Amino acid sequence: MRNKWYLLMMVPAFLFILAFLYIPLVRGVVMAFQNYNMFDLTNLHFIGLDNFKAIITDPYTDFWQIMWNTLIWLVFSLIFQFLLGFTLALLLKKPFMGRGIYSGLVFYAWALSGFAIGLIWSWLFNGQFGLFNDFLVRLGLIDTPIGFLSTPGLAMVSVIITNIWYGVPFFGIMLLAALQSVPNELYEASVLDGCGAVKQLFYVTIPYIKPTIISTILLRTMWIVNYPDIIYAMTNGGPVNSTNILATQMINEVFKQYDYGQGSAFGVIIMLILFIYSVIYLKLTRSSEADI
Amino acid sequence: MKKATALLVALLAAALLFAGGSGESAASDSGKIQLTFFETMTSPGRTQVLQDLIAEYESLNPNIEIELISPPYEQADNRLSMMLNSNQELDVIEVRDYTQKQFVNNGKLLDLTPYLENWEESDDFLPVAHEIARNVDDTPYILTSCLYVKALLVRTDILEQYGIEIPTTMDEMYEASKELSQKAPNQFGYALRGKSNTFKISDVLMFGNVGNIDTENCYQTTDGKYWLDNENGKKAMEQYVDLFKNGCPPDSINWGFNEQINGFISGTTPFLVQDPDVIGSLEGQLDPDCYTVVPLPVGTSGYRYLDYGYNGFAISTTSKHPDEAWDFIAWLNGAEKNAEFCKAYGPLPVFQSIYDNDDYFSSDKYQAWADELVAEDTIFVKFPIDSEKYPAWAQIQEQGMQAMLMGNVSVEDTINTFKEYWGY
Amino acid sequence: MINRKKKIAAKIARFILLAIFLIAAILPLFWIFVTSIKDGTEIYTFPLKYWPDKPSLNSYRELFSFSDFGTYFRNSLVISLSAAFGAMVISILSGFALSRFTNKRAKGAIELGMYFTQTIPTFIIMVPIFTIFSSLGWINSRIALGFVYVATVVAFCTIMGKSFFDRIPASLEEAAKIDGCNLFQALVKVILPVTLPGMAAIFCFAFINIWNELFIAVTVLSSSSKMTVPVALNSFISKTGISWGVMSAGIIVALLPTMIVFGIGQKYIVAGLTDGGVKG
Repeated sequence: MRNKWYLLMMVPAFLFILAFLYIPLVRGVVMAFQNYNMFDLTNLHFIGLDNFKAIITDPYTDFWQIMWNTLIWLVFSLIFQFLLGFTLALLLKKPFMGRGIYSGLVFYAWALSGFAIGLIWSWLFNGQFGLFNDFLVRLGLIDTPIGFLSTPGLAMVSVIITNIWYGVPFFGIMLLAALQSVPNELYEASVLDGCGAVKQLFYVTIPYIKPTIISTILLRTMWIVNYPDIIYAMTNGGPVNSTNILATQMINEVFKQYDYGQGSAFGVIIMLILFIYSVIYLKLTRSSEADI
Repeated sequence: MKKATALLVALLAAALLFAGGSGESAASDSGKIQLTFFETMTSPGRTQVLQDLIAEYESLNPNIEIELISPPYEQADNRLSMMLNSNQELDVIEVRDYTQKQFVNNGKLLDLTPYLENWEESDDFLPVAHEIARNVDDTPYILTSCLYVKALLVRTDILEQYGIEIPTTMDEMYEASKELSQKAPNQFGYALRGKSNTFKISDVLMFGNVGNIDTENCYQTTDGKYWLDNENGKKAMEQYVDLFKNGCPPDSINWGFNEQINGFISGTTPFLVQDPDVIGSLEGQLDPDCYTVVPLPVGTSGYRYLDYGYNGFAISTTSKHPDEAWDFIAWLNGAEKNAEFCKAYGPLPVFQSIYDNDDYFSSDKYQAWADELVAEDTIFVKFPIDSEKYPAWAQIQEQGMQAMLMGNVSVEDTINTFKEYWGY
Repeated sequence: MINRKKKIAAKIARFILLAIFLIAAILPLFWIFVTSIKDGTEIYTFPLKYWPDKPSLNSYRELFSFSDFGTYFRNSLVISLSAAFGAMVISILSGFALSRFTNKRAKGAIELGMYFTQTIPTFIIMVPIFTIFSSLGWINSRIALGFVYVATVVAFCTIMGKSFFDRIPASLEEAAKIDGCNLFQALVKVILPVTLPGMAAIFCFAFINIWNELFIAVTVLSSSSKMTVPVALNSFISKTGISWGVMSAGIIVALLPTMIVFGIGQKYIVAGLTDGGVKG
C-alpha cells in the first residue's frame, strides 16, 4: 500500500528522466546504426554495425590508442583526485580557526565549469606566456618556455593535472561530510583498544565511510570518462592524438566532421563500457553491502 | 535551520521575480514581416556590426523585422545544420566553404538564379564572387560576401633589428626563419599553425614549391595525380618539416589562430601567414608601425597558389518570405554596405567598384592583398569542397602533419596516407 | 615530552599541507584575475608581470559593452534558480520515496536506473533533443531548456536526497501519523525541517551544474536575448581566436553567482551531507 504512494512521489522524477534523457537517448542510439551524416542526409538508412566497424578500424585515428588514452586519463585522474580529496577531508575534519573561509576557498573549483577550467589551465600551461613556464624560467630550470600542451607525453600529464585539480573538491566535500558522521564513540573505543592514528584510519574510519567512498568513486568514474570539456578546451585531443579520449573524439565526429552516426556510435561505446564497469564494480564492492 | 529556509525562500523569490520580468517575448503582432537571419562566423564585434546594419535596414523598411541568431563560432555551423535539417523556419543564412556543399546536398538552399538575373549590381560583382556563388552544381546558391586570402605579415621592427630582408620567395622565408631562430633563445621565425584547419595554411605554403597545381582541385597536379606524390611534393614536405624543426617554436605544433597571433604580437615569430581579418585582431595589441603585410612569397615554381576562403548569404528553402529575404541580402551585400561591413570586420569585399573608388582596400596594410589578387604570378585554386572526404579531412590532415613534424612518421608515409585518403 | 613534540610536529605538518592545498586551489583563479585587469599589451609579455603596472578595468568594460553580458547574466540566473529549485522539489519527493520504498529489488533497479543516467554523454542526446523540441515547437524556449536541466540533475539529486532520508528514522513519520498526519503532511511538517541542510546541498549542486552548462543551451536556444553566460563566454572564441583579457573577465564574472551560492551553501552542503551523504 505504502509503496504505491512512494511510487507516485517518484513519478515527477521518472517523467523528467524519461522524457528528456531516455527518449532522446533511444533516438540517439538509433542514429548510431544509421548513416546519419550531415554532409548528405538525403539517403538516410540503417547500416547495421558499419559505424562501429568504421570507428574501430579507422586507419587515421587509432581506436585502441583512444581507448588507452581514456584508461590513462581515468586511472590517474581518479586515483589522485581521491587521494588528495581524502587527505584534504582528513585535514579539515578537526575544527580550526577560519575553517569555514578556508574550505570555501579550497573547494571553489567545484563551482567552475569544466570548460572554464580548461581555459584557465591552458592559459597557465601556455607555451608562450604561461605562468608555469615563467616560474621555471625564473628558477633557472629552463632557458626557453616548454610546450606543456604541445609535447605528447607532457600534454597528457598537463590535462590530467588539471582534471585532478577539478576533482579534488568533489571528493573533499563528500568525504568530509562522511567523516563528520563517524560517531565519536567509535574513535574512543579504538583508542581504548590501543589503535594508533593509522590503524584508526584503516580499521574505523574507512570501513565506516565505505559506502560513500564506493558511490563517489563510481560517480566520478562516470563523469571523468564522460566529460570532454577539459581536454576539449586545452588540446582537443592533440598533439598527434596523444590526449584524444572517447569523449573528445565523439565531439570531433559531431562538430568537426558532421558525422552524427559515428558520433553516436562513440556514445554507445562509452555507455556500454561504463555500464559493464558499473555492474562489475558494484558486484565487487557491494557484496557485503545490502542495498542497491 | 531557519537561515537555510530563509535562503531558499529568498532564492525562489529572486527566481520568480526575474522570471516575471523577462517573460517570453510575444511574437510580433504588428503585422510586420519577420525574417530570421542566422550568423555562423560569430565574434562579438562582428555580431555588433551586423546588428547595426540590421537596425539601419529596419528603419528603411518599417514593415520588416529581422531577428539575428548568432551562436558561438565553434557551435554555429552545427546548430545551423540541425535547424535546417529539422526544417526550422529560417530566412537568411550565412554559408561558408565548409558548409556550402552540405546544405545544397540536403536541398536546404534556394536557387538564386531568378533574383540574380534582375540584380542591378551583378556587373559590379567580382567575377570570382560570381564563380564562388556557383561553386556547387554550377548553380548560384549563395551571394558571396567576403573573401579570405592569405598574405604574409611581417614584424619589420624585429627583422630590422637582426638585419634581415623581407622575403619574397618561400625559400627566403624559410631561410630567414631559420636564421632568426639562431639569434636569441626565445626568438623564432615562422608562426606555424599546428592545429585547427592547418591545411588551409600549410598547403598554401607548399603549393608554390610543388607547382602545376590543378586550379579546380588543388589536391592534384595538372596531370591528375596526387599533388604531393612527386619529387617536388616530397621536397616541399621535407622543407616544411625542416622549417618546423629549425625555424618555428616547438610549441607551435599545438598552435591555433590565437597562439599564432600571440606569437606575432610578442615578436617570438615575426612571420605570420593569415587572412585579412587578422588586421582587426591585431588592433590595440600591436603598434601598426611595427609590422607590414606583403604578398605571399612565391614558391620555387615561380608562382604563389592561393585559395579563396569565403562566406556568403543564402536563402533557406524553409523561408516563407524569400522575396523579402532577397531584398535584405541584396541590400546588406550591395557594394555600399559590403564595403562598410568588410571595413568594420576585416575581410576583402566582393565588388569591383569598392576597389576602384575606395582606396581603403588598396592602401596601407591592404596593399598586399590588392597587389597579390591581380599579380601575374598568382594562381587561384580551389580545395575539393565537393568531396564527401572534405569534412573529415581537417582532423586527419592535422594528425598526419603533427605526427610527421614530430618525426613519428616519415614524409613518404605521410604523403602515402594522404594520397590514399583522397583515393589517388 | 616525546608525545608533545610529536604533536607539535603533526600540527606543523598539518599546517603546511593545508597551506599547499590553499595555494594550489587559489593560484589559477588569482592568475586569471591578474590577467583580467591587465592591458592588452601587458598580457603578452614574457617574462610575465605578476601585477600590472597600471591595473585597468578595460576588459570588464569591453565585456559588458559589446556583448550584452548583463542580459546573459540575468537569463542564466533565472534559468538556473528556477530549474535548480524545481529539481530540488522533485528530488526531495523521489529521494524520500526511494528511501522508504520497501521492495528491495525494485528499489535496486530504480537506483541503478538513476546511476545509469550519469553515463549518457551529452552529445548523443543533443541532436535528438533538437529534433524532438523542434517538432514540439520548443526550440528557443527557456522553459524547455529548464526542463532538460531538471532532468540532467534530478537523478544525482535523488541519490543525494535518498541518502539524507536514509539517516532519518522512519519512526519520525510514524509518530506524525499517530498524530493524524497523512504521508504528505508527515513529509512537509516533520521530515522536511530536519532535512533543510540536505535540501540546501541538493539545491547548490543543481544550481552549479545548471549554471555551468553550455552545449544543451546552445542546442535549445536561438535568440541572443535568451542566451546564458557559458554561451556568452564561449562566443569570445571566434575564428580570430580568444581575447584572453575579456575571457578572463568573463570567467571571473561568471564565477561570482556560483561562488555566492557555494559560499553560503557550503556550510549546509557539508552539514547536509553529514546527515546523509551520498551513500548506497
